[in-house]
Amino acid sequence: MAPDWQPDFEQLVDQYQSMVFSLALRMTADRGLAEEIAQDVFMELDRNLAKIESAAHACFWLRKVAMHRSADALRRRKVRGTDLWVEMEDVHGAQAEDRATPLSARLEQLLATLPEPQRAALVLRYQEDLTPEEIASTLQAPLATVKSHLQRGLKLLRAKAQSHLKEYVRGD
Amino acid sequence: MDEFERELEQAFERRPAPPSLKRRLIERRAAEARRRAQAERPFFTWQRLAASLLLTAVLAGSVQWRIAERRRREQAARHQVLTALRITGQALDRMNTRLAARRHSPQD
Repeated sequence: MAPDWQPDFEQLVDQYQSMVFSLALRMTADRGLAEEIAQDVFMELDRNLAKIESAAHACFWLRKVAMHRSADALRRRKVRGTDLWVEMEDVHGAQAEDRATPLSARLEQLLATLPEPQRAALVLRYQEDLTPEEIASTLQAPLATVKSHLQRGLKLLRAKAQSHLKEYVRGD
Repeated sequence: MDEFERELEQAFERRPAPPSLKRRLIERRAAEARRRAQAERPFFTWQRLAASLLLTAVLAGSVQWRIAERRRREQAARHQVLTALRITGQALDRMNTRLAARRHSPQD
């Protein structure tokens, strides 16, 4: 920890807004809701700024709160996998197609159909490049559970990709 | 890490946040700071204190005036009663004098 580290709210927003927004977006598959969650997360950061000890701590804290807020939002809305798929197609399909390769866009769509714990583990693993230990710490879950979610989620996503995207998937 | 996982890493790159996110956050933060400042402001600011003192003085003055007015009326009523008694006493004295004079007159 840097002893003279002074948290600067606007700088933290600049630095981590895409991370928080992307986590919320991939967890909820709803751009409006993701923006709302991102705002709430940063407002909570503002209220807890005095407790943040370093930039790394801020990053960890933001990831943790973003994931919890997203899970809460999903629970509130009781969104099912199939609904998410439709919503993802309707709201973000075109934007995703524009921005990313077709495979990337469709992988994101398939991700939205996974159960929430597996989706959370995969998003933290492949978006944030976290180790299973770091994911366990972020989600406050046992390591074995996280490893299980990662394996099952990856297996399920691979299976879905093979059945839906077999023209793209080259390796297995 | 196999090919599929590499594809996942590419697919799950961070997305840029909406450009309006930071602006909305700054606005919301400012609104919350205003609300917090409003809530934390002491109830008795000097203006409120001055207004309270003035109101208290006016009320106290009004009560004092009512008490003084009541005392003045009581005093006036007592004065009237005493005057009436004095007049009655004088009339009785005159009557007694006349009666006494008639009693000692030579016709009796």
